[in-house]
Amino acid sequence: MKKTCQIIAIAVFLLFIGGFFVLNIVTPDREFSPQENKYLQMLPDFSFKALFSGKFTKDFEDYTTEQFAFRDAWITMKARCELLSGKKENNGSYYCGDTILPDFDDPGQAEIDRRADFVDALAEAVDAPVYFGLIPGATEINASLLPKNAPADSQQTVLDWAYGRVRSTAGNIDLASALGAHKDEYIFYRTDHHWTSLGAYYGYTALCESMGLTPSPLSAYDRQTVSEDFCGTTWSSSGFTWVKPDTIETFVPDDGSVTVMNLEKQPPVAGPLYDTSFLDVKDKYSMFLGGNSALRSIDTGHDGPTLLIVRDSYTDSLVPFLLEHFSRIDLVDLRYYRDSLARYIEDNGFDSVLVLYSVSNFTTDQNLFLLAM
Amino acid sequence: MVFSSILFLFIYLPIVLAVYYLVPSRWRNLWLFIVNLVFYGWGEPVYILLMVFSIWLNYVSGLLIGKYVPVEKKKARIVLAVNTVANLAMLFFFKYFDLVAETLSLIPGVRVPKLGLSLPIGISFYTFQTMSYPIDVYRGDSYVQKNFIKFGTFVALFPQLIAGPIVRYKDIARQLDKRHESLDQFADGVRRFVVGLGKKVLIANNVGLLWDVYANAGAGELTFVGSWLAAVAFSLQIYFDFSGYSDMAIGLGKMLGFEFLENFNYPYISRTVTEFWRRWHISLSTWFRDYVYIPLGGSRKGLPRQLLNLLIVWSLTGLWHGASWTFLFWGLYYAFFLILEKLFLLKWLDRHKAVGHVYTLLVAVSGWVIFQQTSVSQTLVFFRAMYGLGQAGFCTGRDLYYMAGYGPLLLAACFASLPAGRALFARLPEKLRSAAVPALIALVLVISTAYLVDSTYNPFLYFRF
Repeated sequence: MKKTCQIIAIAVFLLFIGGFFVLNIVTPDREFSPQENKYLQMLPDFSFKALFSGKFTKDFEDYTTEQFAFRDAWITMKARCELLSGKKENNGSYYCGDTILPDFDDPGQAEIDRRADFVDALAEAVDAPVYFGLIPGATEINASLLPKNAPADSQQTVLDWAYGRVRSTAGNIDLASALGAHKDEYIFYRTDHHWTSLGAYYGYTALCESMGLTPSPLSAYDRQTVSEDFCGTTWSSSGFTWVKPDTIETFVPDDGSVTVMNLEKQPPVAGPLYDTSFLDVKDKYSMFLGGNSALRSIDTGHDGPTLLIVRDSYTDSLVPFLLEHFSRIDLVDLRYYRDSLARYIEDNGFDSVLVLYSVSNFTTDQNLFLLAM
Repeated sequence: MVFSSILFLFIYLPIVLAVYYLVPSRWRNLWLFIVNLVFYGWGEPVYILLMVFSIWLNYVSGLLIGKYVPVEKKKARIVLAVNTVANLAMLFFFKYFDLVAETLSLIPGVRVPKLGLSLPIGISFYTFQTMSYPIDVYRGDSYVQKNFIKFGTFVALFPQLIAGPIVRYKDIARQLDKRHESLDQFADGVRRFVVGLGKKVLIANNVGLLWDVYANAGAGELTFVGSWLAAVAFSLQIYFDFSGYSDMAIGLGKMLGFEFLENFNYPYISRTVTEFWRRWHISLSTWFRDYVYIPLGGSRKGLPRQLLNLLIVWSLTGLWHGASWTFLFWGLYYAFFLILEKLFLLKWLDRHKAVGHVYTLLVAVSGWVIFQQTSVSQTLVFFRAMYGLGQAGFCTGRDLYYMAGYGPLLLAACFASLPAGRALFARLPEKLRSAAVPALIALVLVISTAYLVDSTYNPFLYFRF
């Protein structure tokens, strides 16, 4: 009896380590992980130079972990174990039933001041009126869903502090109130950090109020569901892969009258308002304007003034609502744009400028200083 | 390379074990010698040369000392002295040079540049292992090893190379010549290794995250409850990390036919600090006792001399743990309690056993705060909060959140640091126990793998190009 159990114990162990040794060799390596939205480490090329610099061994170790058989299933298992052990979060996201909320860290007042001053510097440097908007995330608006006593910092505090700091802007947009008034509606994706198109609509109404525009009523739009299986960024990072997917809607039809020129590429490439090819891949939110780009210029096909937006990805789902009010809207992304922003604004004579960031990106993006250049 | 990695578990170990048992036993030491160097050189391939030099140096010293001891003791003593100085010089150069440079540079007008060398892994462990061999030969405690490969296999033996236990040559000399690998021993090794893996990956790594939450908290943020949660979490982390590593080492040793000495024996159940150090990192305390404390005269030369010896040994023990003056302070902190106990406290504690447990835990847990904090000011922030003088009050909602989230794990870890669990398991009916072992092995392996795979899980959320 004792002997049999010893043999079983040894067999379990050897089959496990030997089994995965073999499995990892026979299962094909994946170049890209849709679940993680990133390229995975492939088998590194051996060279003595890479070996002695330590690069080879490091890459090889990443390779063994990132190409481990059934990687996605292991990740989900770890997330489940964390919840079973009593935790309410995994990899920086809170588990709130059918909603996943990302954590938020307040960087402190000195850091917020530093960042807000960049916005001021831009407002002083250009003739056009500069509007400033900070979008609070779901973790703030739906804070009541968070686990009890969850240590997520207040985004409202950051927002109030930043708005109190800037002096030279033409207006600071009260997005928090607009979103807060509809917090029980589907204004944020449950599995992604972005606002939904409905959330973007309420953001648009706040924007109109600041800029003196008249927003279209919600009933004026033709709402279309374009996807019912959107698994977003927090779904990926948390490992809570059993949470049910989100729905993506569009409010403004893409009737072909809009031209989106991607000026990052030479020569510039024209693209659609909605790049529906993204609906077939993991990163579905990128269907709005086709994802991130250093610089895009949109010819709206309408009459009106021109607008430049210093953007993050929240802007992409907001733009469809703005089309009817402007003749041209340019989108600059400071993470990738490397020329002088002020000069671009002056050269093109924009009628107004909007600096629009999610609170989360505003407190973490390392490129904000470019506003002041 | 570390044991708790996908690379070790699912590539290195299967290959090492498979070849080890496929080749005839006379090739096994050579195979171990080769894979030891691969294991060692994985992070810093250049340091393989250092390792080979270290093996060669002590191998030759051993030969010479063995030759001279019976005929010319004086020559043997010179070789031993040169060898000891050379070993310590290597350790000093790689581990302590920058600390000394930094400290000297504090003197106005003096500037000693730092070298910024990366520390060769395990150098503190294997220097002590190799140094002890010529000393043992000199003392007549050990035979001379004439085979370079066998000696090299001992020095770089991968199970205990990077985190102990510190194995002395004389303890495994016979096993290097002849090992009888058996099913019994292998099964034991598997069990022991998996226990260690679970301790490291499932307990130590996770409670460590709780310490990280609080470690850098400012004086205005750190509450009484928060500081204790953090200090207890780190005390559990270091115990499970270190003893888990020793368990894995002992288990791997058994799988390869070696028997190493135990390194931990439930230290947190100690009634006195003296006892704590008989149960914590046993191979290190033993090493210092046999190669420093006793040669200095131990307790045989009167009380003042004994106290001085304790101060020397504990200064060295402290510094051995890391090249920073906080470790020296940590060593002296223990010297203080050990001396108190020698002078009178042991007798008193003998009559007040419950007090002894509380006192020992307080000393150990507070000691870990000194050990882990890199600055004295941050240590003081912790001590003020822990002992009721903090500025941030008793408890916040945040503390409650972490207490709820980590509570089950902390309780399980506390329980696992007591011998009670093992005793309870031993009381189960034999049949149930036999069936439970393979099931538990499978469970720990599967969950540990999930955590290891997750450890590089860092989704790239802002996708581009």
